[in-house]
Amino acid sequence: MSFDYLWQGFAVALTWQNLLIGFIGCFIGTLVGALPAIGPINGIALLMPIAYSMGLPAESTMILLAAVYCGAEYGGRISSILLNVPGDAGAVMTAMDGYPMAKQGRAGEALALSGISSFVGGLIGTIGLALFAPVLSGLAIGFGPAEYFVLMIFAFATLGSMVGSQPVKTLIGCVLGLMLATVGLDATSGAYRFTFAEPELGDGIEFVVLVIGLFSISEAMIILEHQGKGVTVIRELGRMTARWADLVRSTGATIRGSLIGFVIGVLPGTGASVSSAVSYTTEKRISDSEGTFGKGDVRGLASPEAANNATACGCFVPMLTLGVPGSGTTAVMLGALMLYNIQPGPMLLTERPEVVGGLVASLFVGNFILLALNLPLVNIFARVLTVPNWLLVPGILVLSVIGVYSTNASVFSIFLMLGIGFVGWLLRKAGFDMAPIILGFVLGRVMEVNLRNALAISGGDISILFGSTISIVLWIMAAGVAFLPLFLSRRAKRRMRAMTVADPALD
Amino acid sequence: MTRMFTKTLTGAALMVLAMTAFAAAEPAKPECLAGAKPGGGFDLTCRLAANALLETKQISRPMAVTYMEGGVGAVAYNHVIGKRGKDGNLITAASSGSALLIAQGKFGQYDETAVRWLGAVGADYGVLVVAANSPYKTLGELVEAYKASPTEFPVAGGGAVGSQDWMKGTLLAKAAGQDAKKMRYVALEGGGAVLTALEGGHVKVGSGDAAEMVKHHVAGKVRILAVMAPERLPGELAGVPTAKEQGYDIDWPVWRGYYVGKDVSDEDYNWWVEALKKTTATPEFAKEREARGLFDFTLLGKEFEERVHTDVARFKILAKEAGM
Amino acid sequence: MSEAHSISPRTARLIGRVSAIILLLLALAYGLGGSVIEYAFASDPLGPRVFPIALAVVLGGLGILYFLSPGTAEGFPHGALLARVLAIPALLAISVLLFEPLGFAVSIFTLTLGTALIFGAPPVKALIGAVGHAVLWWFVFGYVLEVYLPAGTVFGG
Repeated sequence: MSFDYLWQGFAVALTWQNLLIGFIGCFIGTLVGALPAIGPINGIALLMPIAYSMGLPAESTMILLAAVYCGAEYGGRISSILLNVPGDAGAVMTAMDGYPMAKQGRAGEALALSGISSFVGGLIGTIGLALFAPVLSGLAIGFGPAEYFVLMIFAFATLGSMVGSQPVKTLIGCVLGLMLATVGLDATSGAYRFTFAEPELGDGIEFVVLVIGLFSISEAMIILEHQGKGVTVIRELGRMTARWADLVRSTGATIRGSLIGFVIGVLPGTGASVSSAVSYTTEKRISDSEGTFGKGDVRGLASPEAANNATACGCFVPMLTLGVPGSGTTAVMLGALMLYNIQPGPMLLTERPEVVGGLVASLFVGNFILLALNLPLVNIFARVLTVPNWLLVPGILVLSVIGVYSTNASVFSIFLMLGIGFVGWLLRKAGFDMAPIILGFVLGRVMEVNLRNALAISGGDISILFGSTISIVLWIMAAGVAFLPLFLSRRAKRRMRAMTVADPALD
Repeated sequence: MTRMFTKTLTGAALMVLAMTAFAAAEPAKPECLAGAKPGGGFDLTCRLAANALLETKQISRPMAVTYMEGGVGAVAYNHVIGKRGKDGNLITAASSGSALLIAQGKFGQYDETAVRWLGAVGADYGVLVVAANSPYKTLGELVEAYKASPTEFPVAGGGAVGSQDWMKGTLLAKAAGQDAKKMRYVALEGGGAVLTALEGGHVKVGSGDAAEMVKHHVAGKVRILAVMAPERLPGELAGVPTAKEQGYDIDWPVWRGYYVGKDVSDEDYNWWVEALKKTTATPEFAKEREARGLFDFTLLGKEFEERVHTDVARFKILAKEAGM
Repeated sequence: MSEAHSISPRTARLIGRVSAIILLLLALAYGLGGSVIEYAFASDPLGPRVFPIALAVVLGGLGILYFLSPGTAEGFPHGALLARVLAIPALLAISVLLFEPLGFAVSIFTLTLGTALIFGAPPVKALIGAVGHAVLWWFVFGYVLEVYLPAGTVFGG
C-alpha cells in the first residue's frame, strides 16, 4: 500500500487555483447547509454543470463538490441550533441539545463548540479515508465485466439501508432510474432505445438534466408548499467562543462520534442521518447519567456533529475505491466523474491518482478552511437564515436553467429537465424519495453493459458471474450488506422514535 | 452543446489582424462545429483547423469552436442540413466514422449527398492489439488461433456493434474465414477500457486506433500485431508490420475532415478548399497534426467528395456482409 | 418534515393506488416499447431488448405490491396553494420559450420576477429583486465565468 497518491494529491490541492476553488466550495457548502430549504445534494447538483462548462479539470470539479458536501455538514448545524430546523439531514440530532442551549442564551457557544466537533470529526474521517483509499487498488486489474456486474449487484444490495419505512417505493425509484438509463444509444448493439426518433435523446438523458430536474425544480415547488410555517430565528447569540470546561467535557463524545460516524460512512448506503442518530443514542447511553441530554448537554451536541462530518468523509471510501455510491450525494458526484468520461471503479486510483489524491488532500485542507469559516464568520451564515424564499428560490431556478443550458445549449434539455422535475414533484407527493432514482440511473448502465459484456465473453455461460474469487466475495458481501444496515437503521429509528416521544421539541 | 471560444488565441489574432490583408472571400465569422462534447475526436479535428488556419494566416480572426453533442455527430449533421445549409462561415468536423454511420442510416433521413464534403486533413489507422503476455506474436498466429476456436475468442473494441472498432473486428473474423455475426464481440467504453480488458486477460484481442495504442505499445503493456494502413506508419510504429505485409487485406484508415452545408456557394466552398490546401502544405500544419496523433492524409475538394461516396458504398457492403 | 404534511390514511391510500396504476401502465408501455426495439443483431447473448423487458416485469411486480399496500404519502396541496405551486413549472416553461429569442437577461428577469410574486413578495421588492438577479447572473456567468448564454436573436445575438 502506497501513499504516493496522497502526496501527489497535495500537490494538486495546494495549487492556488484549487485552494481558491476549495475555499469557494467550503463557503457555498456552509451556506447551502445552513439554509434549511436546500441540502448538499441540491448544491452539488447546481454547481456540477457550471463547473463542467467552465472547463474546470476533473480534479478541480471534484474538489469543489467535495468541499460543498463537507461544508454543508458544517453548515447544517447553524439552522439546527438557531431555528430548531435541521439545515440538512445529518443535522437532525444536532438540534436535540443545540436548540435548548440556544434558548438558554448560549447559541454562540453552541455554534463554536459544534464547529470544533465538526472539525475533529471531519479530520478523523479524512485520515480514515486517506488510509482506506489505497487498500483495494491492488485488486483493480482483476475487475472484468463479470466482476463489475457483481459489484453493481453489491451496490444495489446496499440500498437495503436506504429502504426506510417504504421499501417498495425505494425499489420502484431504483427501477425508474434504471429505466431512464436505458434511453438512448445501446452501448453494445448500437440500437436506439426509447428515443422516439428524437436525435437529442440519441445519447440518452443527460445526468445533469435528471439531477437538476429532480433536486431543484421539484425542490422549488416543495419549498413553496412548506412556506409560511412560522419559525423564529434566535438572534441573541451570546458568548461566541466555547468554554474550556465544555471542550474537555465533550472530548470523549466528539472522538466516539467521529469513529462511529466514519465506520457508518464507509458502509455504503448509510448516510449522515443514520450516523448522527446512532452516535447520539450511543452517547446518551454511555454518558447521560444525570438525564441532561436533550436539555442542552454539550456532549449531546458534540457527538452527532462530529459523526455527521466523519460520515461525509467515510462516504467517499466506497465511492473512490469501488465506484459504488453510498448516498444520493455521492451518486451525484459519481455522475460528475462520468461527465468527464472517467469510469468510476477500482481502477480509479491507479488511472487517475490526481483525482483521488486531490480530493482526499483537499478534504484535509478544506477542514481547516471550514474551521476558519465557521468559528469567526458564523455570524454571516446565521444572517443568511433570514434571506426570504422569494429571493432565494428564483436564484435556484436561474442556476438550474443556466446549469442545463451551459452543458447542452439546447432548449430541449431545459424542457426535459422541467418535465422530469414535475414528475419528480408528483412522485415526492406520493411519498417517493428521489435518491434511489439517481442511484438506479448511475448504476443502471454500468450494470447492464457489464452483464452483457460478461456474457459476450463467456458465450452466454452464466457461470462466469461466479467464476472468480472477487465475484464470490462480492456476492457474499452483497448478501451481508443487504441485511446489516436494515437492522442498524431499524434500531436507530426505534430509538429515535422513543426519543421523539420524550422530547417533542424535534417536531 | 456548449459554445466556447478559443479565447487563448485572441492575442495572437489581434497581431495577425494588424499584419494581414484580408483575402477576398474570407468568412467574416469562421466557425467549426464539433458534433460532440469538448475533448473528443471532433473537437480535436476542429481545433486542428482553428489553430493551423490561424497560424498559417489563412484566416485573420480566430475560428470559434462550437459543440453540439448527440448521436456521434448525427445531431450536428441534421442541424447543418436543416438550419445552416447556406452558412459559408461554418465548417463541421467529420470522420470516417461519420461515413460509417451514414452507411448504416444512423444519421437520420439524410445520406452522404446532403452536405458538401470539404476535405480530409489527417488520419489515424486501425490496429489489432493483444496483451503483452499473449502467445500470439504475428497477425498470422492470431488468425490461425481464431480459426481454431472461433467461439472461444472474445474480441474487444471501444464501441458498439456497428462502430469502427467492431468493423475492424469483423475484418479479422473475415480473414479467419469465420462468420462475423458469431464473433464474440465485447463492446467497451473507449480504448482505455479495451486496454484494461486485455491486461486483465478478460479478452484475447482488442481493436483500436494507432494513436491511442502506441504509447501503451511502447510502454510494453500491449503488443500491436498489425496496423491497418497501406504502408508502415512512421515514428514509434515503424517496427510494426502492416496487415497487408502479413498477407491479409485489411485496411482501415480513420480520416478526419470537414463538411459544409449543401447550399454553400461555390466561392465559399472553394475558398475553404484553397485555405486548407495552403495550410496543409506548411510545416506548421504538420506539427499541429502530429501533436494530435494524426498521420499524413490530405484529400481536398472533389477528390474528398468522391472518397466519402466510395467509403459509404464500401461500408454499406461491409456492414451487410457482417450481418447488419 | 414530512410529519407536518401527513394526510388522512384514506387520501394516502387513494394517492398510492392511483400512482400504482400509473406505474403499472408505464411498465406495460415500457415493456412493449422494449420488446420492439429494432436492431440488426447483437454480439451478446442478451441483446438490447432483454434488460428493458426485465425491468418492465420488475416494475410490474413492484407496482402490484404498491397497489396492495400503498403506505403513506405526503399529499397534494389544495386550492390557491396548488395553483401557486403549479405556476412555478408553468412560469419556467414560459421563460424557457423566451430564452433564445429574447435572450438570457429578459428571460431571467421574467422568471425571477414571476417566482418572487408566486412566493408572495411585495411587488416593488420583487421588481428590484428581479432586476438584481438578471444583472447579477448575467455578470457572473457572462463575464466572470464566461459561460455561453444567448443574448437574444431579436437583438441580433
